[in-house]
Amino acid sequence: MMKFWTWVRTYGPGYVEGLEWTALVALAASAGAIVWGGALLGVRLGAGRWGARAVDAYVQLFRNTPVLVSIYLIYFGFPLVGLAWPAVVCGGFALVLQNGAYISEILRGSYQAIDRVQFDAAKSIGLSAWHTFRKVTLPQVLVYSIPALGNQVVLLLKDTSLLSAVAVTELTMQAKLLTEQTGAAYEAFIVVAVLYLTLVAASEIVFRVAERAVRWR
Amino acid sequence: MTTWSAWQNALALLAQGALVSLWLAAASIAAGTVVAVVLVAVGLSRIGLLRQAYRVYIWVVRGTPVLVQALLVFYALPALDLHAGPYIAGVIVLTMYLGVLFAEVFRGGVLAIPQTQWDSAKSLGLPPAALLRRVVAPLVGRYSLPAYINVCVMAVKASSVLSIISVWELTFAARQIIERTLAVFSVLGLAAAFYFLMCFGIDRLGRWAEGRLALRGFAGERG
Amino acid sequence: MMEIRGLRKSFGDTPILRGIDLHVADGEVVTLIGRSGSGKTTLLRCINFLESYDLGEIRLDGTRLWYGDDAGGRLPLPESRTRRMRQQMGVVFQQYNLFPHMTVLENVCLGPRFSQDVPREEAEERGRTLLRRVGLEDKIDAYPARLSGGQQQRVAIARALAMRPKVLLLDEITSALDPELVGEVEDVIRSLLAEPIMMIVVTHALGFAREISHRIAYLSEGRVAEIGPPGAVLDAPRDPTLKDFLRRMR
Repeated sequence: MMKFWTWVRTYGPGYVEGLEWTALVALAASAGAIVWGGALLGVRLGAGRWGARAVDAYVQLFRNTPVLVSIYLIYFGFPLVGLAWPAVVCGGFALVLQNGAYISEILRGSYQAIDRVQFDAAKSIGLSAWHTFRKVTLPQVLVYSIPALGNQVVLLLKDTSLLSAVAVTELTMQAKLLTEQTGAAYEAFIVVAVLYLTLVAASEIVFRVAERAVRWR
Repeated sequence: MTTWSAWQNALALLAQGALVSLWLAAASIAAGTVVAVVLVAVGLSRIGLLRQAYRVYIWVVRGTPVLVQALLVFYALPALDLHAGPYIAGVIVLTMYLGVLFAEVFRGGVLAIPQTQWDSAKSLGLPPAALLRRVVAPLVGRYSLPAYINVCVMAVKASSVLSIISVWELTFAARQIIERTLAVFSVLGLAAAFYFLMCFGIDRLGRWAEGRLALRGFAGERG
Repeated sequence: MMEIRGLRKSFGDTPILRGIDLHVADGEVVTLIGRSGSGKTTLLRCINFLESYDLGEIRLDGTRLWYGDDAGGRLPLPESRTRRMRQQMGVVFQQYNLFPHMTVLENVCLGPRFSQDVPREEAEERGRTLLRRVGLEDKIDAYPARLSGGQQQRVAIARALAMRPKVLLLDEITSALDPELVGEVEDVIRSLLAEPIMMIVVTHALGFAREISHRIAYLSEGRVAEIGPPGAVLDAPRDPTLKDFLRRMR
């Protein structure tokens, strides 16, 4: 029993810091990606043929390249053009760009699932384009998208581990540090794996609750 | 980079790296498919305990980042006195990960087959071997194909993570060149282009295959 | 001949079949009619053991099917024996009968070749003959996706017949078809009336049922509420729910 508490006191802070950073980046990047994905959808729908093509190209680009490459590009590249962002911001930004692409596709699917009749109805009562978007389109798109968004957030959560490659002190980085410090071969990674599973489970619960909440409407 | 030959060197290195990435992905896809078939058999087993075990295993592998699994295997192997090196560790990790993804794909494929197809096969009284070979495998294969191709694309992208456990492949090569030359955008841009070609290529290949199978009567069943 | 006695089946807590008694003679055509949920399709599926049943027995030419001859008769027979029993029955379903990855001929020959170990040439000869009978010999090498719904159902009938079954089970085989395609399928069934093959048919098409059936069985609440020749059942029904049902079907 003593040994357990010593363990917690020695290594606890490290894991907690890792959890904090992971959760922080995951939350911020998820929010950012949803907003960015929504913006991309807006461009696709509103900016004519060229807008749609541009968004298509963007989505294809990020679908077919690994996140790690995007992270490296921003982390190593931005300082060269004068943007000296901290590593965590670079990584978070890359995650937003990448996941924004997937999320815009999710939102697009939900948008296409909305009955066209609703738009005719909105037009016939004289709603402006902006108001139609805000009051008719957006709420329904968000509601239909909840399950798929939940999935994407879990993927994003797991991708935060890649930020360890640019020395952000999230969970995976902590595990690496602890492994080097203590010489314990792999225990740290098992602990961290369990912590990730907990975060994933928590995220899934949140989204399931959200799903049920909007259904009552 | 200043000289043309420096460019050529870099390009050649990246191309080699791309081939290694492709090779890693291909090996893990092949092994992962085999693992998946075994997993599906367990997942559809009549024994409740086995089905539970399958669900737990799937949940764990899907709920932890590939990088963490890679680091775990990478550090665990020497600790268990198995000195296999980063490559083998990498292929093991990718195989396990893809195995789980493919298993879910195949399960989805099985569930997508209309019930009367199963009923028809049963009614014909086919022996298990013929049933599997002539009916189940071809049908599951066709219904799973799009999702299967998606996972193959994911395999190529996941191989980049192995660079972090010092497997020499495309991303690793790109980092090496950057650290020497600081030509970040061009080198990573090229690397991204290679990945794009590989992933997009696999996607197109998949669509072609789907198209050919559709002509042979898969998609668009009327009646 | 087929004897069904005391067949009971529940899905969970819901009883669907509450004691079916039915005898069908060789070469006889019996049509099952009734409202949705009356158990017609479930009964058909139990006959072919696509669904297990809780109580009762099914006998074909005296041999008890599907469950063992042990005291309680509750243990299903091993797969190897049920497989052989299934070969004596041909089934055609409402849709998606044919395997999309095989040609029409391959579909028809699948059963004979791999279940009955008929050599390939002989199986193909049989298949061609049957396809000629249903009028589709020119579609032999086509894939099902290229066929209309009616053509697919005709091939499905040929496939069922290829096994040389004693019993043919038809589960609403025209219900999913566009109206203009129904006739070609009904024609094929008519042509089978001359053969000594037992048929148990589930259908909504009362006119067709009247034409082809020796007897019609009306199922209600999981039992055979009324059974008799088409004239009696359709024109002079006695069961009140049957009268109701017929009125609604007009």
